[in-house]
Amino acid sequence: MDPITFSIIRHRLFRVVEEAVITLKHVSGTAITNEGHDLMVSLYRADGSLLMGGVGFLHHLTSAAEACKSIIRRFAGQINEGDLFLLNDPFTAALHTSDIYLVSPIHHQGKLIAWSACFVHVYDIGAMNPGGFAPDAQDIFTEGFSSPGIKLIDRGQLRQDVWDTLLNMVRGPEMVALDLRSMIACNNVAKDRLLALVVKYGEATVDQACLTLIEQSETRLRQRLRDLPDGQWQSRQYLEVKGETYRVILTMTKQDDTLVFDFSGSSPQSKYAVNCTRWASLGGLFAPLFPLLCYDITWNEGVIRPITMIAPEGSIVNCTRPAPVSVATVGAIQSVNNAACSAIGKMLAASDQYADEATAVWHANHFAIFMFGTNQRGGQSIGILTETFAGAGGARTFADGVDIGGEIPNPISRMANVETIEAAFPIRYLFRRRLQDSGGAGTFRGGTGGEMAIVPHDAPDGGIHYVLSGKGSKFPQSEGLSGGYPGAINDYVWVHAPKDAERSFANSLATIPGDKQPISWGVFPLMQKDALYVRWNGGGGIGDPLRRAPEKVMQDVIDGVVSSRAADEVYGVVMSHGTVDASATQQRRSDLRRVRMAGGRTA
Amino acid sequence: MSSTKQKFLVATDVGGTCTDTIVFSAGEPVHLGKALSTPPNFAAGVLDSIRSAAGPMGLTLESLLAQTELFVHGSTVVDNAIFTREGAKVGLVTTAGFEDTLLVTRGAYGRWGGLTEDRMKHPVKTERASPLVDADCIVGVAERTDYKGAILRELDLAETERCLKRLISGQGVEAVAVSFLWSFLNPTNEHKVRDILARIAPDIYCTLSSDIAPTPGEYERTSTTVINAYAGCISKAYIQNLEQLLRQSGYGGAVMIMQGYGGLLPAQEAAERAIGMLECGPAAGVIGSRALGELLKQPDVIATDMGGTTFKVSVIQNGEIEYAREPMVDRFHYAQPKIEVVSIGAAGGSIVWLEPGSNVPHVGPRSAGSRPGPVCYGLGGEEPTLTDVFMLIGYMDPEIFLGGTMKLDKECAYRVFAEKIAKPLGLSVEEAAFGIYRVAAAQITDLIHEITVERGLDPRDFVLHAFGGSCGMVCGMFGAELNVRRIVVPYTASVNCAFGLVSADIVHEYSTTTVLPVPSPAAVVNRIFAPMVQKALKELQREGFAGDRVRLDWAVDFRYSRQVHEVTTPVRAATPLDESGLRQLADDFESIYERKYGKGSAYREAGMEMTQFRLTARGLMEKPELEPLPLGSADASAARVARRPIFVEAKGGMNEADIYDFEKLVPGNVVEGPAVIHTPITTIVLQTGQRGSCDPYRNIVIDLR
Amino acid sequence: MSRQVISATLAIEKGKIVCADCGRALVEAGQSWKRHAALTSTPIRDMPGAASAVDDKVVLRYFACPGCGSLLDTETALPEDPFLDDVVKA
Repeated sequence: MDPITFSIIRHRLFRVVEEAVITLKHVSGTAITNEGHDLMVSLYRADGSLLMGGVGFLHHLTSAAEACKSIIRRFAGQINEGDLFLLNDPFTAALHTSDIYLVSPIHHQGKLIAWSACFVHVYDIGAMNPGGFAPDAQDIFTEGFSSPGIKLIDRGQLRQDVWDTLLNMVRGPEMVALDLRSMIACNNVAKDRLLALVVKYGEATVDQACLTLIEQSETRLRQRLRDLPDGQWQSRQYLEVKGETYRVILTMTKQDDTLVFDFSGSSPQSKYAVNCTRWASLGGLFAPLFPLLCYDITWNEGVIRPITMIAPEGSIVNCTRPAPVSVATVGAIQSVNNAACSAIGKMLAASDQYADEATAVWHANHFAIFMFGTNQRGGQSIGILTETFAGAGGARTFADGVDIGGEIPNPISRMANVETIEAAFPIRYLFRRRLQDSGGAGTFRGGTGGEMAIVPHDAPDGGIHYVLSGKGSKFPQSEGLSGGYPGAINDYVWVHAPKDAERSFANSLATIPGDKQPISWGVFPLMQKDALYVRWNGGGGIGDPLRRAPEKVMQDVIDGVVSSRAADEVYGVVMSHGTVDASATQQRRSDLRRVRMAGGRTA
Repeated sequence: MSSTKQKFLVATDVGGTCTDTIVFSAGEPVHLGKALSTPPNFAAGVLDSIRSAAGPMGLTLESLLAQTELFVHGSTVVDNAIFTREGAKVGLVTTAGFEDTLLVTRGAYGRWGGLTEDRMKHPVKTERASPLVDADCIVGVAERTDYKGAILRELDLAETERCLKRLISGQGVEAVAVSFLWSFLNPTNEHKVRDILARIAPDIYCTLSSDIAPTPGEYERTSTTVINAYAGCISKAYIQNLEQLLRQSGYGGAVMIMQGYGGLLPAQEAAERAIGMLECGPAAGVIGSRALGELLKQPDVIATDMGGTTFKVSVIQNGEIEYAREPMVDRFHYAQPKIEVVSIGAAGGSIVWLEPGSNVPHVGPRSAGSRPGPVCYGLGGEEPTLTDVFMLIGYMDPEIFLGGTMKLDKECAYRVFAEKIAKPLGLSVEEAAFGIYRVAAAQITDLIHEITVERGLDPRDFVLHAFGGSCGMVCGMFGAELNVRRIVVPYTASVNCAFGLVSADIVHEYSTTTVLPVPSPAAVVNRIFAPMVQKALKELQREGFAGDRVRLDWAVDFRYSRQVHEVTTPVRAATPLDESGLRQLADDFESIYERKYGKGSAYREAGMEMTQFRLTARGLMEKPELEPLPLGSADASAARVARRPIFVEAKGGMNEADIYDFEKLVPGNVVEGPAVIHTPITTIVLQTGQRGSCDPYRNIVIDLR
Repeated sequence: MSRQVISATLAIEKGKIVCADCGRALVEAGQSWKRHAALTSTPIRDMPGAASAVDDKVVLRYFACPGCGSLLDTETALPEDPFLDDVVKA
């Protein structure tokens, strides 16, 4: 088609999504949506295939496509202009119940021409535990309201009975109402703007442009795949809940212009809510694939076509009903993200042309702590600790990972200021900083994770409670690449203060007075003088740490992000009087190499 | 000091490329001056620019300045110091345990902030900007204040002194920034650091976060403090040096410096607030646009400016200017009131390119700059730009570019464009060129749409102002697509920022942060404002403002208790407030909230809170009045100088059109599109159905049907 | 081109997988190279940066070049799990 008109329509389609995102954030006004950017808006073609994916939590782009498709099947003959559907059943399409999809058909002159879909993580969904992640849930039935598709708006009229029923089942119904209203407004904006485009350029032209966009994406991704070497790459992720260990195993095979992600060998589904459904796994592997392989390609159906996923039924990556899945987004899905990121990184590193696009695994585990309780003004608060979105960059083949630099599946997240949290919750931070030795060692170091500690402050109830669906405290998950080390793991420590404890200003975990109890899963109190210490994982490194420039290692030691022990044991750098001792370093490094050659035995 | 002698008002704006001057005096025509900017010693260019205005007036620099009553100034010197990394070596003192606040930029925020969406989608190639303070120059000291402003832990004075000494003698820092948690509620501990520093090292430049940015949010507040410390010595030296040069050249009046929030400060005060000078040029431009809107009685304005490298846009609604929510300079966040000016890389110098593989055409964001510049400049540019496109579609006349001072090489532009763009697209050069033109106009339309939608506004309700060398050639196109009714290409377009400088007032901004529930007694609110009012009146009095030359505007930030958006709500009722005035204020908040964030966005059930109390204190400056000229006949034929083929959107191709010389147009003349009006600095294109008229101020007013 | 990069640390040369650093041949191209490398396993618990709850058994496997000691790859593993097998076609 005419390249000029195509260019204009394409630009406008991006803007449609962007304006809808703005609307979503505006109307919602919640911290998780506005700070965490835990949201997604995308456009879909009339058949539900992805047309234009927005920048948000990327593992939703394909699941929301399935949401559109399942609505098309379920409501055949009853999809009318002005309708809006709600879907949040993970076994139908959603990732977990608290990520609600609102899906709108877009009609032009009576004909269904497209869909818009969006999600936010709603304030609450009525699961056993507040906030959406329900570590105590035994099955999907205890994870709150769940619908495989329901009409919320019928020909422009809100179905009050449905609205009231839904809000009757959640904590903080006013906040959930606000979330829903924001998504309705968002879909309306997407619809209005898309229709304006259709009116200006004609339906056939816009449709042709959409088809061309999809074809171009497919052509360009297939070409990129052909440029990459054929081969097979494996990765493995361990997940632990209450002493049980699960594996997500991936074999990624690239042949010619296709890519197969095979999860055979992964663990059977868990009795805990870390499982994910098939659609969630598909979303999980696409989340890193879009920004790693399609950074300059429009994210749409064309990108999906060359990709195949194999996920054994009944496994942790394709669980069957009624397995619980409320922790999926930070459980199995995130492991799928990581495994795919690792395998794609290895494939890119195997190509001269694309080596500079390779990355070790970024921030591999959300700690996702939801606090709830009576705040200092006497009101009730539920909210996520947004440090979970702070992340850590994986190393690149040309540079270190970005310290506390975010994550790949949600490229534009951020964390809240300490002052914001202290104003909203009856807690006080003792410290919040980069975590020493958390960035995976390597020629290029992974970005550091962070550490923080909080204590109750001015809490009317003496403190608060929090939901911890903490994983990642047993096994490293931010894998390194080409000899780089993995990033350090998460840690959750409940410090039980002694009876006579004074107000603490401790500046590290070691100096917080009291007994330290590692915790990981469930609902816990944070009361009186007790403290909660959390550290989050760093990014993986790339390349042999013994090849890292000694001056960089020394600078890291000066900045406190690498310990002198690691400088010596891992990097083989010897320092004296504030400078690198070059000859001692050379000697130390060659000693360490000899140890390696001897299989770990010192000569 | 006789008033007959001191009659001029001189305003000079230092931009990245040019330094513009505008000279006003009552009842006389406006005089303009232009000179090249002279970084890093910008003051020299200021004098050059004033001199260039004095010349045509028959005056020397000295005689003009001797007769000048007021000198108003805006400068890019602070922006430049940051972009070129030429500021001071800074030490940062924080609350112990929070030393990394600045470096980790609230997580990924500092990694993706300030990037285009295309680059955000490519995280592997994104980095943080390297910070203005070295990691080993950041020290945490024992102290703590809580969310109520209660001091939980007194500052450890001995430790602080040790740390400061180590920073100064060990690290060699030249400036110190201090930023403690919650210091905006209780600055006691920060003050103690300043006192120690004053005692042990009085020459070290010091900025406290509670002084420079007393607002919640420690990351942005710390970043602001560091930027100010970093550039503080430079701005101070610059202003002192400029004042001295002006005095040596015979000037005896006051010097006023523009701030990024669109108000002036006396030089001495401005010297301590480097951060305030950031982006003050574009801010002055918006003030100029507002003044023009008021003059023309059209207070709703979308101000657009298209020069060589960026297209800038800002929105003025009913005379009210929008402030940036998350201001940034060179990818550093800061917390200061700053006029919102949004930009994209689509302007005259923007490079036109085809996407490899698909041949989809793109405009910008890369720019050819002024060297080598567009292909048609003949300075060695080998990549086609929008300027080349303007020439190829007949909008620019190669013979009379910049008033004939520079001849353009059309043949060369034609050849390069044909080879790099038209041929791969399979189109004729003209077809491809106006295709690219449409792409650029569409991108601008999308940007304006997005920023107006973001504010809950409808672009159709606005008048569009078109500034800058390239805007007149595109505004008819994107204006039509936005459905605006009227476009104004102002007479002062080329020196708009300088025009803004003379339209501005002295403005002091004060704020107090404390959370109050709604309803609260009016007396409580008044008690918060009282000390700010007192301070403002004293300050303005010192600067020579009292009585009806003082205006105090109150505003309160509100939010719904469980939502994050805060809305600055201006107080319309009489102050101090009574109960009904306060009720009205809360109502106003609710209606602004819904307008801005959409229907159904207000969550009233959670209750409302007041979070910040703002006082804007203005010392009203006397504004020069533009003299309207008498309107003549509508017949513009005397100004018609040629006919040539130009691209006409409605016809989808090249068509013969009338060409007019702006210098020959007189107020009252009407020009029907399609047509081109050449002015000495720009070209105005009227599309079919658009009617341009010359108004009494020699603005070209385009009415769209 | 006689040398094909297959990772940042390995290449294929003359039909063999070699250490990119010293050129030492490990195995025929297309085969699994890891069991021809020098293997060291260190418990994560013993490494700098380990956290309080780290699993007792999980190790970091280091695969080094037997010729020069360059680190070729690492993987996080429980002892009972097989090597991750990466194969790049020549």
